[in-house]
Amino acid sequence: MNSTVATPTSDARDVPARIADRPRLRRRDPWRIVGNIFLVVLTLFAILPMVWMFLTSIKSQFAAVQYPPEWLPHNPTLAEYVRLLSPTNDTGRDFLRYMANSIGVSIATTVLGVVVAVPAAYAFSRFRFPGRNLLFYSVLLRNMFPAVVFLMPLFIMMRWLGLVNTLASLVLTYLTFGLPLSIWLLKGFYDNIPPQLEQAARIDGATRFQAFLHVVMPLSTPGIVATAIYSFILAWNEYVYALTFINDKARMTLPIGLQRFFAEYSTNWPGLMAASFIMSVPVVVMFLVLQKYFVRALTEGAVKS
Amino acid sequence: MAVMEVNGRRPRRGERRSLVRRIWRQRHDYLYVLPAIAVMLLVIGYPVYATIYLSFFNTPPNLALDDKIFVGFDNYWRIAMSDSVHQATWNTMVWTLWSTLFSFIIGFAAALALNREFFGRALVRGTLLVPYVISAVAAAYVWRWIFHSDFGVIGAISVELGLTDHPINFLDNQTAVLPSLILVNVWKEFPFAMIMMLAGLQTVPDPLLRAAQVDGANAWQRFWHITVPHLKGVALVTILLLLVANLNSFTIPYVMTGGGPAGASEIWITHIYQIAFGRIRFGLASAYSVILFLVMMSAGYFYVRALTRGDKDNS
Amino acid sequence: MTYREKSGPSRRDVLAAGAGLVGSSLIPANSFGQTGAPVDLANWSPEYVRKIAGTLEVDTAADCAKIVPLDYRGNITFWYVGPTDASPRIEHEIDAEFWAAFAKTYPNITVEKQSFDYNTILDKLRTAALGNSAPMVARLMLLWAPELAAKGFLNELKPEDVGHSSAEFWPAAMKAVTWRGKTYGVPTYNETMALIWNAELFEQAGLNPEEPPATWDDLVNYSRTIKEKTGKFGYGMVARRNAGNTPYRFMPQCWAYGGGALDETAAAPRYEQVLLDSPGTKAALQASYDMYVRDKSVPVSALTNTQNENQDPFLSGNLAMMISHPSEYAVMLDKAARLSGDERARADRAIAKVRYGLIPKGPARRAVAFGGWNAHIFKPSVTGGKHDMEAARALVTFMTGPEWSTKLAWAGSNPGNLRGFKTSWMKKRLETIRFLDVTTSMLTYGVPFPVIPESTEIMNIIVPDMMQNALTGRMSVSAAADAAARQVRDALSI
Repeated sequence: MNSTVATPTSDARDVPARIADRPRLRRRDPWRIVGNIFLVVLTLFAILPMVWMFLTSIKSQFAAVQYPPEWLPHNPTLAEYVRLLSPTNDTGRDFLRYMANSIGVSIATTVLGVVVAVPAAYAFSRFRFPGRNLLFYSVLLRNMFPAVVFLMPLFIMMRWLGLVNTLASLVLTYLTFGLPLSIWLLKGFYDNIPPQLEQAARIDGATRFQAFLHVVMPLSTPGIVATAIYSFILAWNEYVYALTFINDKARMTLPIGLQRFFAEYSTNWPGLMAASFIMSVPVVVMFLVLQKYFVRALTEGAVKS
Repeated sequence: MAVMEVNGRRPRRGERRSLVRRIWRQRHDYLYVLPAIAVMLLVIGYPVYATIYLSFFNTPPNLALDDKIFVGFDNYWRIAMSDSVHQATWNTMVWTLWSTLFSFIIGFAAALALNREFFGRALVRGTLLVPYVISAVAAAYVWRWIFHSDFGVIGAISVELGLTDHPINFLDNQTAVLPSLILVNVWKEFPFAMIMMLAGLQTVPDPLLRAAQVDGANAWQRFWHITVPHLKGVALVTILLLLVANLNSFTIPYVMTGGGPAGASEIWITHIYQIAFGRIRFGLASAYSVILFLVMMSAGYFYVRALTRGDKDNS
Repeated sequence: MTYREKSGPSRRDVLAAGAGLVGSSLIPANSFGQTGAPVDLANWSPEYVRKIAGTLEVDTAADCAKIVPLDYRGNITFWYVGPTDASPRIEHEIDAEFWAAFAKTYPNITVEKQSFDYNTILDKLRTAALGNSAPMVARLMLLWAPELAAKGFLNELKPEDVGHSSAEFWPAAMKAVTWRGKTYGVPTYNETMALIWNAELFEQAGLNPEEPPATWDDLVNYSRTIKEKTGKFGYGMVARRNAGNTPYRFMPQCWAYGGGALDETAAAPRYEQVLLDSPGTKAALQASYDMYVRDKSVPVSALTNTQNENQDPFLSGNLAMMISHPSEYAVMLDKAARLSGDERARADRAIAKVRYGLIPKGPARRAVAFGGWNAHIFKPSVTGGKHDMEAARALVTFMTGPEWSTKLAWAGSNPGNLRGFKTSWMKKRLETIRFLDVTTSMLTYGVPFPVIPESTEIMNIIVPDMMQNALTGRMSVSAAADAAARQVRDALSI
C-alpha cells in the first residue's frame, strides 16, 4: 500500500474523487446541517477574542476600561498602532527593534532547524546503524521535558558557552523545541518515498549524498515547508526563555516587548492589545497562506494507513 | 555500505569487536544525525544532569548557589509531606485530562465537518487555525481581560442580558477558575487536533467507503466501521502529543492567574516555577522537576512506542 | 559643603523621636559624623516640611569632585527601573535630565544603562549574578537588598564612602541596607504611600468628602456604605500572589492592628519572632475578610489584581478608595491629557475629586510600609571581573546627593538624603505637586519590611497566600494565619 503515493485530494479538480464531495450523493443530510452549525459556532469561538483584542486596541486608554464596556469604540483611534510602528518616537523604535530581533531569531531557527532535521530524518529513515532506534527515541523524547524546568541550568550553560544575553542562545534553545516533530514528520515523508529513485541515481554514478540532495530532498518539499512553518511559529511566539536569557533591551524579542505596557501601578490595555495584534498578524498571515503545505505534509508524511 | 542492505538482521555474535567495527564502517551515517544529536545533547543533556544533581541540595535564599548544602533526599521528603503538592497534583490531572479530551473531541468534530468540499472551506479552515498560531502570552492577556471578574466582557454581557446581577466570577472563584483556564487552553489547542485528524481523514481509502455505500451502509455505519478504525493511529498520536503538551503547559495558567486563587489553579509546572523563581529554592524545585521527569518518562515510553509502531514493519 | 543649618536637637532626641517605629539601633551613636541629622524628625509635619524647603544651596558638581575627580575616565554598567509607557511624562523628562547632567559633570565616564520592568528586574538580577553578568551599579528597591547582600553579591558601601554621613538618611532606610552589621548601599529615595479617595463618591454615600476614614475599622465601614449607597466599590484591595503591591497594602493594615510578619515594628527588631499568628494579624485579616466576603464592597478581582487594575476603575469613578503613591495622580493627569471630548470631561471631573490623606490608624498605631530605592555596587566577582570602582562611586555620589536625590524622586517619592528636603527643588515640588505634603508626612510612620533575605518570600508569597486562603474561604481566618506563621518558621529554619 505504501509503494504508491497516496492520492492527494487537492489535485484532479475536475471530478471530485472522494465520495463526500460528489454532488449527486449530497442528499439533504442532517449531519451536514449539524456540521455547518457546529462550524459556525466554532469559528465564532475561535475568532471573537481576536475581534475583542482589535476593538480594545483602537479605544483610548480611558474608554478601554469602562464598565459596562463600550462594544464599539465611540472614538476609535489608531494612535497606539501609530506609536508602536513609527520610528520617530522611543516606543516605536524599541518595538521595531523587537520585531527585527524576532524576525532574525525566527528565521535563523527555521533555517537551522531545516538544515539539522532533514539529514537526520533521512538517516533515520534510510540507514541502519547501531543505536539508530535509541537515538531516534531520544530525539522524540525532547518533548517530554517542560521548558520551564530547564531555565536555570540552561542559563548557566549559556554562561559557559559565552552566549549570555545573545540572540544565539535563543536560537540554540529553540532548535530543540522544533526538532522532534520536524524529524518525525520528515522521516515519515522519506519512508514514503520509494528507494528506487535513489538507487537509480546511484547507478548513474551519484554518491549517496548527491542522491539525497538532488533526488530525494525536492520530493519532500511539503515536509520541509511544514517544518519551516512550525519552527518559525514556535520561535516567534516563545516567551519564557526569551524573558530569562535576554537582558539587553536592544536584543529583546516581541513577546517580551509586551512587558513594557505594564508599570508598577498602571496598564496600558489598548497598547498591549495593539502590540499583541501586531505580533499575531505575520504568523497568522503566513499560516493562512501556507496551511495547504502543512496539511499536505501531515497527510503525506506523517499519517500512514 | 549500500543503502538498502539490511545488515541489522545479521545474527548478533555478542562480541564487542563486531559492534565497534559496524560503527566504524558506518561512521558516515552518523554525520547525518550528528548535528541533531549534538544540539539535543547540549541543550537537554546538561540541564537534566544539573537538575538531578541540584535536587539533592538545599539552596535557601540567604546563600549563593555555590554554597548550597547537601541534604540527600530531604527535598523529596518535604515534597511528600507538603500539602500544596496534593492540590497541585489533582489540578494537574484535571487540567491535563480535560484539556486533552476537549481539544481532541472538538478538533475531531471540526475535522469531520471540514472533510467535505464547500465554498470557502480553505478560509474557514484557516480561520479556525488562528488560535493555535497566536502567541500564548497575547492570548492569555486577552482572555484574562475577557474573563475579568469586574470589568470583563462576558460578565458585562450576562448582566446586560439579565442572566445574573453581578458579573460572573471566573478567575477569582475557586471552582470556576480551572474550567475557565481549560476553556482557554482548548481554544488554543483544538486547531492542532483538527489539523492532525483532518490529515488522517484524508487517507481513509475512498473505494472502501464507496463500496460500503453501495452495500447500503448509512453515514453513521460508514463512519463507525470504516473511518474510525483507520484513524486509530493518528488519534493515538494526537492524543499523546496533546497530553504531553498539556502536562508541560505554563504560559496560560501562569499569566492568567499565577496559580491563584489560593492555589486553585496551581499545576505542577507553575508550582515549580514559583518555588524556583518566587521562593528561590532551586534545590527544592529541582526535586519537583525530577519527579515530573519520571512521570513523563513513563508517559514517554508509550508515546514513543505509538509513534514508531509503523516503523517496525519497515525495517 | 557650604550650607546654613539651624541648630538641631541633640542626637539622642533625634534618635528617640525620629525612631518611634523605625528604630535605628544598628547604627551606633558615635558614627554620626560631624553634625548629626540635618532635619528635625521629631517635629515632622507638612508645615515643617514646607518651612525648611528652599533653605539650602547645593553644588552637586563640587561635592562630587571631592570624592572622584571630574575628569575621571571610566566605564560602568547600570541597571534600574526606569520610566515605561505607563509612567507619567515628567518621569521621562527627569530621567533624561539626569543622564544629561551626569554626562556634563563627568564627561569622561560612559554609562551603559539598562532599564527594566519593576516586576522582572529582581529575577533578572538573580540570573545575571549566576551568569556573572551582573551590572556594576544598580538602583534597587529596598526589599531586595538583604538577599543580595547575604548571597555575597554586593560590595560594601556606606554613605561615608560617597561623601555623606549615615545621619543624613532616614534611619529606616539605613536599616534596610544593613546586613549583619555592615552596610551595602546608599538610599536614593524613600517613599510612603497615602490613602487616595474619590470625594464625589464619598459625598454620594453621605460621607464627609474632605476627610479620610480615621481608622481601619472606619475604612471597612466606609467601604460598605459606599457599596450600599452608590453601588460602586469601596476599597481597592490587592491580594494577588507574587506581586509586590500586595504586601505594601496589607501590611500597613496588619501593623495598624498590632500584628506583623516578624517583629519589624519593634524599636530594635531581631527578626526571630513570628507574628503572623498574633491577634493583631488575625484582626487585620478578619477586616479584609469582612470587606471581601461579608460586605462584598471590594472588587471581586482583588485576588488577581495588582494595583494596575485599580487605577482605571478609580479614574472612571467605579472605585472609591485605594492606597497608593503620589505619582498615581501624575499618571492620571497624563492619561486625562490624552483624551478628548466627553471622555476628557469625565476624566477631568474624576481628577478634580481626588483627595489624598493619611493612611488610617489602627488600635496599635498608624503605619505605612517604608519603601524606597537604594544604590548598590556589585562585587567584581559577579560582574564578570571587569569593574570600575571609582566610576561607580562617582555615579553613586552624584545620584545620592541632595540635588538628584530630590529630583529623581520628583513625581512619586521623597529624597532619601534628608538634606534634599531643604533644597529649592523640594520647594518647587511642594508648590507644583498636589498632595506631596501628605505623603511626605507619612514618612515618619514608615515601617520597613523585615531586613532578611527571606523577606521577598514572606512578603510576596506567604502573605498573599494567607490572604487568598482566608478570602476564598478555603481556610478560616485563624487557620490561614496559623498556616502562614508555620510556613514562615519553616522558611527561616531551612
